[in-house]
Amino acid sequence: MMKRREDILDSIPLDLSLEIFSRLPSKSIARFRSVSKQWGSMLHRQYFTELFLTRSWARQRLLITLEGNGEFRVFSSPQLQHPYGKSSFVVVSADFHVKFSLPAKTCGLTSGLICFSYNSINKVENALVPVIFNPTTRKYVSLPKLTNSSWYKAFNIFLGFDPIDKQFKVLFMPYPEFGNENRILTLGTGEMSWRKVQCPLSLYPLNKWICINGVLYYLADRMSDGKWPSLMIVCFDVRSEKFKFIEAEECFYATLINYKGKLGGIREIYDNDSNTLELRMWVLEDVEKQEWSKYVYTLQDDEFVDLSFVTVAGVTETGEIVLSMYKSNLVYVIYFNPERSTHQSIGIQGFGDSDYNDVNRHTASVFVDYVEDLNVNDLKYIKSSQDLNIFEE
Amino acid sequence: MSKSEKKIVLKSLDNEAFEVEKAVALQSQTIWVMCEDKCVGNEIPLENVTGQILAKVIDYCKKHAVVDGDGDESSEELKNWDTEFTKNMDQSTLFNMILAANYLNIKSLLNLTCQAVADKTKTIDEFHTFLNIENNFTPEEEAQICQENLWAFDD
Repeated sequence: MMKRREDILDSIPLDLSLEIFSRLPSKSIARFRSVSKQWGSMLHRQYFTELFLTRSWARQRLLITLEGNGEFRVFSSPQLQHPYGKSSFVVVSADFHVKFSLPAKTCGLTSGLICFSYNSINKVENALVPVIFNPTTRKYVSLPKLTNSSWYKAFNIFLGFDPIDKQFKVLFMPYPEFGNENRILTLGTGEMSWRKVQCPLSLYPLNKWICINGVLYYLADRMSDGKWPSLMIVCFDVRSEKFKFIEAEECFYATLINYKGKLGGIREIYDNDSNTLELRMWVLEDVEKQEWSKYVYTLQDDEFVDLSFVTVAGVTETGEIVLSMYKSNLVYVIYFNPERSTHQSIGIQGFGDSDYNDVNRHTASVFVDYVEDLNVNDLKYIKSSQDLNIFEE
Repeated sequence: MSKSEKKIVLKSLDNEAFEVEKAVALQSQTIWVMCEDKCVGNEIPLENVTGQILAKVIDYCKKHAVVDGDGDESSEELKNWDTEFTKNMDQSTLFNMILAANYLNIKSLLNLTCQAVADKTKTIDEFHTFLNIENNFTPEEEAQICQENLWAFDD
């Protein structure tokens, strides 16, 4: 009594069809938009792009950038969903996204876009050019040059996303001795230009950031006595473009994390005597009152990964702490579940065969919770233009 | 509670009757609501599902009712079972399963079957057959869309 196939096809309601399509890779969606006018417009509608993003969050990926030897490569790998302690060490293959033949340095990842800077060796000045790059579409945009070239001598750059106006903004912070003016740029379809933005404090920005719910957080040094670091957390509201500062003495050497929507930091301390790794985590519970909660976790010696070399990559949406290290063409990833106090280590391969001591020449950065977002893929201003000095393979 | 009260009879569109444990059937939100409302007796008619499909849905619910603890091994085992469950289903069976899971409101089964169809829909031809539609773009329009989305057509 089964219905014939044609009848079934006609009887699948639209909402169920969209349920199915929302589970496809974004690459398939881009192809299927060329199938018919109706479906082209259906798969562009906000209802669908939001449904797609929701489903994307159920299949997050780890994003891996590898730099060194005049190359910049990007990979990804599925993020484990329920990494409960298993005794075996699994090795998976990374998915290759792109290779640029240029000396580039990863700056960070915000809402699906990578920011990296590369040395434009063709220019007279040794200037670093910041690039915003979408690893899924492999499209990019290089940011316009700043007029004051001395700013490029020492600076850090941050990518923020404002979820209300759905805008990406780039913050350019030179070191104070090269000018006390900071610049900001809104990514958009028109001509992009840097605007002035006033930071009330004169600070030395560190190079790591995290953007949570429209607020960009990064560490900065006051250099109060010119010698010893005196760090604080800078909070930049991407929409209003206002700065706030949080005192946090303990954040020295820490990795900033997104702990279930709150800002946090983790320091890893390895104890050689007991072969254990201590993770000190603190979470900002209340921004106004600057109330922190603190946690200390201990990882026992891992039989597959040398814990003395791992660093914190981030915390997943579900609260697992992800640690990583790169050694001998293998990225080791440890998922640590703080509530269960269990961990699972895996290896990711597929980065090519370099020398055994490759660790000196390549640097890998691992980012958690990379999700495909159709709205980010559709950004018109991110396109590969041929006039860039970027050589893509 | 007597033994018979723990059981429930599900009747398909083509009048096939299945006696199942209540705990198994109640994974369906639709059946759960029907039982809560006491609007049905011990026999529940399911007018949108054939016996062949209902048998598969019950298999799924039985499996998921038995290992509902969140032990480490069982979740892994369950995942493998799910993969095997949909692996050899043809497309029309999968579509019928989606419709049944939607009607019976079993979220995890709907998720599983939608994902299974998505995994089997990779090429534009498959998409065409899926939707039973014809391309109404002009060749020029189609070429332009492809040009704008070159990244998606490179393999």
